[in-house]
Amino acid sequence: MGGRKKGFIDKKRSATYTLVARDSASSSSNPLSTDRVFVRTDNHHEYSVPGFIDSDEEQYNRDDESSIFADAVEDAGVGPRYAERGSGSGLPEDVRKEILELGLPDDGYNYLTHLRDIRNEGAGSAYYDNPRARFDLVPLDVKAYDASRVRVSSDAVKEEEPGVESIYNVASKSAPVRVQKVVDPDVTRLLDDSDLSRFGSDVEDLEEDFVLVANQPEGEEEENEDVHVKKVSSDVEIRYESASDDDVDDGPEDSAQQRVRRPLDEEFDEAFKEYISSEEDEGPTFGDDNQEELAEKLKDALKEFHIEDAVQEEKYKVPADSVTEDQESAQIIRKCTEYAQNYLNESEDEKEVLLVSESSDESEAWDCETIISTYSNLENHPAKIGAPGKPKSLLPPKSIPFPGDVGVGNDVITLRGKEMLPVNYLPQRKRIMEGLVREKLGSVEKPKKVVGEESKEEKKERKAALKNERREARKAKKELKGLYKSETQRAHKAVAVTGPSSVHLM
Amino acid sequence: MAAAVGYGAMKQTKLGVEESHDQLNRIRITLSSRDVKNLEKVCADLVKGAKDKQLRIKGPVRIPTKVLNITTRKSPCGEGTNTWDRFEFRIHKRVLDLISSPDVVKQITSINIEPGVEVEVTIADV
Repeated sequence: MGGRKKGFIDKKRSATYTLVARDSASSSSNPLSTDRVFVRTDNHHEYSVPGFIDSDEEQYNRDDESSIFADAVEDAGVGPRYAERGSGSGLPEDVRKEILELGLPDDGYNYLTHLRDIRNEGAGSAYYDNPRARFDLVPLDVKAYDASRVRVSSDAVKEEEPGVESIYNVASKSAPVRVQKVVDPDVTRLLDDSDLSRFGSDVEDLEEDFVLVANQPEGEEEENEDVHVKKVSSDVEIRYESASDDDVDDGPEDSAQQRVRRPLDEEFDEAFKEYISSEEDEGPTFGDDNQEELAEKLKDALKEFHIEDAVQEEKYKVPADSVTEDQESAQIIRKCTEYAQNYLNESEDEKEVLLVSESSDESEAWDCETIISTYSNLENHPAKIGAPGKPKSLLPPKSIPFPGDVGVGNDVITLRGKEMLPVNYLPQRKRIMEGLVREKLGSVEKPKKVVGEESKEEKKERKAALKNERREARKAKKELKGLYKSETQRAHKAVAVTGPSSVHLM
Repeated sequence: MAAAVGYGAMKQTKLGVEESHDQLNRIRITLSSRDVKNLEKVCADLVKGAKDKQLRIKGPVRIPTKVLNITTRKSPCGEGTNTWDRFEFRIHKRVLDLISSPDVVKQITSINIEPGVEVEVTIADV
């Protein structure tokens, strides 16, 4: 690394500062200073930049330069922070008041030291207007600051007072303001307004007592309406009590007198009186001694329907009995009785039994559906129906006949393998598996290295390919073994029946 | 070089917190963070701020990201298939070089810090 130019910064002759969060960002410190402060982090203090950090902090750090606690806060009473410590456990009154205001317990501890001012740290954050924000529901601990009167000058470097940057004046000029003020006053007014009478329409819909209003003649005052309403409502309550006075009866009548009496009113009054008087004696339920009364009343009411004998004298009479002959209902009743009689007597008579036998032709001929319905799924697994293929030849033609094999042809069954099974006796799927395995083997062997030395990657590839192929072969073998087992058993059975017992299978 | 030394001597005898634009230092600002977006934002802001004040600024130089990997077994006991968790932690670092007076730098860096971005300032003589 020779000939390297001098770097931008010579580490040995420089000072390094790290931006850290200030640990004493409480009300005692300068409210215009930020949460973060530069703290010196390197150890060689020969070089110092007096302009970078405040002089008193620099002094702190300089006390004991080699100690690692050089910039630690000192404990007892040194520095401006601890100047105002109260005596004993009593806190000054204003402090206590503020603690109580915030809802913190009043136990002599100054919780205000743990408060942190919310400052504007991330200048990159933007305000997004949330149209659905409800500011009146904002909890008490949220404060709004009105900064509309702040003018931030474009020349952000210098201000009148030295040492105070303009950007920090925003906080000082913004005044705390009630949150409700921030919101549009019209909106708050509407939201707070519980009395919605302002929104009542001029065209009023039906009032509650529109019936009474309609019944009143014109020129009536509204007080009468109210009185009437009140009296009627009180009547409604009193009506269901057992005690009812005539005074009350007079009530609605009196007020009813004030309007033009109509014939309906008289009838109503009568009925009302009767109703009231009857209720005085009885109550809601009817007793036995009032049956006659009721019956008479019913008779009166149903006069026009010509119901005679509405009162049951001795025995119970079905309505049909009281029907006279000349009515239509009488005929209907008669017919009903006739049919009923017929029905009852029917079972006793001898009937003609009509036997309808099914035609034998139809029952004996079986159609497809019938046949299929007799099949059970136990033996016939549902499968795709296909056309039956050609009968496959079990033995492939021998490609290379041995010399001297005269009679050898297609009918020689060769036994091979550990289990000495006939070669082409097994079903085709095994051959497919073998074919697949062979294919795979064949394909993998192609990228063999041509150049003399193979690189690491090629070797890796080759080895990976080999591994794969071996894995496949193992899987295939496992499957084949499984197949083999069932076939072996079948072959055993077959051989046991047919072949000579000297043939040893497995 | 003599002038620079003289400058340095002059600086050290000065007391107080006077800001003057005359003293220039070489300042290297190193920003590191786990979050690229915030980091790039802070970088851009610093560059913009410096350019507004017509300072000579070089950068941001992107130091290669350091990836710290932790690979642990997922299982609290040793039982089961051997599954592994791979956690990683990326630290991005950007370096800016300025030539200006330190007070200006202090202003700029104090204003626009996003959370999670660590700022280190190295000051040396010009």
